Amino acid sequence: MKGIKYLFAGIAAVTLSLSHVQANTLDELLNQIKSERVTESQQNREREAAFLADKENQAALLAKAKEELAFESQRGEDLKATFDSNDKTLTELSETLRQRSGSLGEMFGVVRQFSGEFNGLFSASQNAVQFPEREALLTKLAESKELPSITELEQFWQIIMEQMIVSGDTSTVPATVVYGEGSEAQDDVTLIGEFNAIANGKYLTYEPETGKFEELARQPVDSILSNVAAFESASSDYAPLHIDPSRGVILSLLVQSPNVQERIDQGGIVGYIILAMGAVGLLIALFCYLRLSVIGNKIRKQKKSEEAIGSNPLGEVITAYKEHQGASLEDLEAKLDEIIMRNAPKIERFIGSIKLFASVAPLLGLLGTVMGMIGTFQAITLFGTGDPKLMAGGISEALVTTMLGLVVAIPLLFLYTFVHSKGRRLVQTLEEQSAGFIARYQEKLHTAES
Amino acid sequence: MQWILSELESIRHFLGMGGDVLVAIFILSVFLWCALLERWFYFIFVAPRAAKSVVTQWQQRKDHKSWASKRIREELVSQRDIENKRGLPIVKVLIAMCPLLGLLGTVVGMIHVFDTLAVVGTGSPRAMASGISKATIPTLAGMVASLSGLFFSTRLDHLAKLSTRKLEDKLKHVTS
Repeated sequence: MKGIKYLFAGIAAVTLSLSHVQANTLDELLNQIKSERVTESQQNREREAAFLADKENQAALLAKAKEELAFESQRGEDLKATFDSNDKTLTELSETLRQRSGSLGEMFGVVRQFSGEFNGLFSASQNAVQFPEREALLTKLAESKELPSITELEQFWQIIMEQMIVSGDTSTVPATVVYGEGSEAQDDVTLIGEFNAIANGKYLTYEPETGKFEELARQPVDSILSNVAAFESASSDYAPLHIDPSRGVILSLLVQSPNVQERIDQGGIVGYIILAMGAVGLLIALFCYLRLSVIGNKIRKQKKSEEAIGSNPLGEVITAYKEHQGASLEDLEAKLDEIIMRNAPKIERFIGSIKLFASVAPLLGLLGTVMGMIGTFQAITLFGTGDPKLMAGGISEALVTTMLGLVVAIPLLFLYTFVHSKGRRLVQTLEEQSAGFIARYQEKLHTAES
Repeated sequence: MQWILSELESIRHFLGMGGDVLVAIFILSVFLWCALLERWFYFIFVAPRAAKSVVTQWQQRKDHKSWASKRIREELVSQRDIENKRGLPIVKVLIAMCPLLGLLGTVVGMIHVFDTLAVVGTGSPRAMASGISKATIPTLAGMVASLSGLFFSTRLDHLAKLSTRKLEDKLKHVTS
């Protein structure tokens, strides 16, 4: 309510002021306009005068600016002329330089290129640990734009000569060696030319990135390795040593080739089964061989004696003969046959199972092959044939089981034949010679009687 | 002398190309040939003399017809037969083992090839070459060793039977 009251008061005030102007007469307005016109024209004149004064001033400024422009453009031309003449002199001078340096420029290029190449070779070579100060000079020669000085050139060819000599030398230098478990140690490393490095009877490889030597996790076979320690402790001028002519590449590939244990692991479960069978077959063969030797020895001993000793087939024959003394020959022969029939399977017992193992082992190998191939084809189905490394697992399982099957079967086959022919001989001896033995025995008794 | 040395060197080179399995085949075939030569030596020098002594032993007997003398004759023949056949099964199994070892060499070589493949990829046939020669050379050597022995082993088998039969013929039942 209060706001509305104020609004009314405001409207009333405006109405009052309007009514005040309207309240004046038109004459008064005319007068007022006239008087104002007089003052206005007065003002306009004054402004005009001011403008005119200002115009002159501006003209003076313009003249001054023009003058400056002329001066500056004159200076520009002068400078351009100087630049041109300088440029010309420069061209002339560089031409003179080119002419004067002549073949020296070519030599500079050759030095730069060659020192770049040599730097690459040198930093990859293990001799870099012997001359750590060389790299700065080589880098400078390879990268700087200036002409090399004569001293630098001389140093360069001396370095090349030194490297040539060192690559045919054997020298022992202290260097950092990283061992298998990651521990580093400062050791005396023997460098054989650029080819190999050895320390503490082991082969090392050089890592150019770190400038350190690494002990190979897997060393070559003992026959090669045994030379290393002998070489290190050699006092004479010459000692035999195997070197890797590929500067460590072949040695570092050695780490990737699996050892026997890893190889067998690749065969998987089938491989272990085959090996277990081989072990069992071997034990059976050994057992059979010992048993046959014991029986054979007993028979041999029995042949020399007239009394039955111990329990052996021939002894049984003699006992049977003594029991049947006076009986007919047919009866005796029947009894002998019975004894032989009873003893032959005893002698040949378990021998057949060696053959069983020998023939089952390659079959199991074949099973492993098929399983490995299934694995391989699964890998192909999933990943395609692009990467041979993915298929390698299945293929090595397939091949390793085949190999294990053969490795088990071949010796078992040999042992089987060996044991079998030994058993065969014993049985044959019993079958064909026991009757003869009895006959001889009989004759001896007769001659003793008569 | 020089000739022998160069031959030895070429044998060593050959064995080096074929790997360990080829060495095994080499040793095996040396065994095989030792066994074969032993048998030949036996049939040429030992067997005839032994047979002769058996024949004289038989002829010294007065009685050739009784049960006892028949059994003794059987025993004598059987003893010679066993001696004649000794070692022949081993020769046979050695002959059978050579191709098996060749097969083993093939597998070992293939493992080598696949190892190389896993490391270098298929790009470098040169890297596979050593594996392939390890795979093929033992197969060849196994075949050759086995075939070379096969003929002689059959011949020796025949000789063993022949020798026993001849002895049997000589031990006559009547005194001449």
